Amino acid sequence: MGLLQGASELFPVSSLGHAVLVPSLLHWSFKQSDPSFVPFLVLLHLGTATALLLLYREQWVAIVRGFFAAAIRGQMKTESERLAMLLLVGTIPAAVLGVFLESRIKSLFASPDEAAGFLVLNGGLMLGFELMRRRAERGLSRSEQESHFAEAERISFRAAALVGACQALAFLPGISRSGVTIGGGLLAGLRHQEAARFSFLLATPVILGAGIVEVPQLFSTGVPVAEYLAAALLSGIAAYASARFLLRYFRSGRLDPYGWYCIGAGLISLALLHFSL
Amino acid sequence: MTRSQSVSVALGALGVVFIVVAALYALGVLQILTSSTSGPHYKHAVLFVVLAVASFVAANFARPKTA
Repeated sequence: MGLLQGASELFPVSSLGHAVLVPSLLHWSFKQSDPSFVPFLVLLHLGTATALLLLYREQWVAIVRGFFAAAIRGQMKTESERLAMLLLVGTIPAAVLGVFLESRIKSLFASPDEAAGFLVLNGGLMLGFELMRRRAERGLSRSEQESHFAEAERISFRAAALVGACQALAFLPGISRSGVTIGGGLLAGLRHQEAARFSFLLATPVILGAGIVEVPQLFSTGVPVAEYLAAALLSGIAAYASARFLLRYFRSGRLDPYGWYCIGAGLISLALLHFSL
Repeated sequence: MTRSQSVSVALGALGVVFIVVAALYALGVLQILTSSTSGPHYKHAVLFVVLAVASFVAANFARPKTA
């Protein structure tokens, strides 16, 4: 479960959707309605967040310093300071929606059918994002395309808020956080690799925040903590490897293969769940 | 960002309101938009602290700077 979550978290294929679907399809003895299910997933997400903090450790040091410097000064002077403020603006919509819609979202976690449906929708979104991007690229060669688009620090605050709002969709199992935020980044005019970097940076505070609040609940439910921590470690290792792969992939790759995968996986899951194949 | 003393004061006041709301959620006084109807809601409190910090930062950004 830890490997599955870590490997799928950063790929635009919805780790949460897979975490709901796979145990159900393979008849694992995991009760998704169990009070420890969501905190367990959050613990796995913490493994992912730790991997992202390690991957971007130098950038995070600059971002944190930049945040305090800009906040105290009331002015942004460096790219790190601007990126810190963009991440703050991008984090707020997901945090607000996550806190206020928590109970409704948790009720969706218990339904593999809805996760499969949202996975199909996620695939459609990936293909839609790339379709819109191709229209913006018209007339440019592939090598010119990426250099034509911006770096993460250059997007507007309105665009950062839009990408953050996209991130809130990922509370639905089957909708990929990285997928919708990379897609939002593409719409905001970022190059693929920069959209992925912004997505990974944006994910870290939300995942850490959720973890800080949810993990104590996990330890109070009497679960095998050592086993769960080992799963979180595996999740982190898989996430680190995934992030490095994806940053390399998005130098020239697109979201389309993941979109088709989500549509296929969602439809097959629906068929398996409904016809007991 | 357009700098204005009145916008800065309004954002600062909003930050204070968020701090008060955070305290009310943490003490369990406020039960609006929560999953349970009793006890403290630390998640909501943390959110409002973050919103307060964002408001104070925005207020500082909006404050006219002396050369």
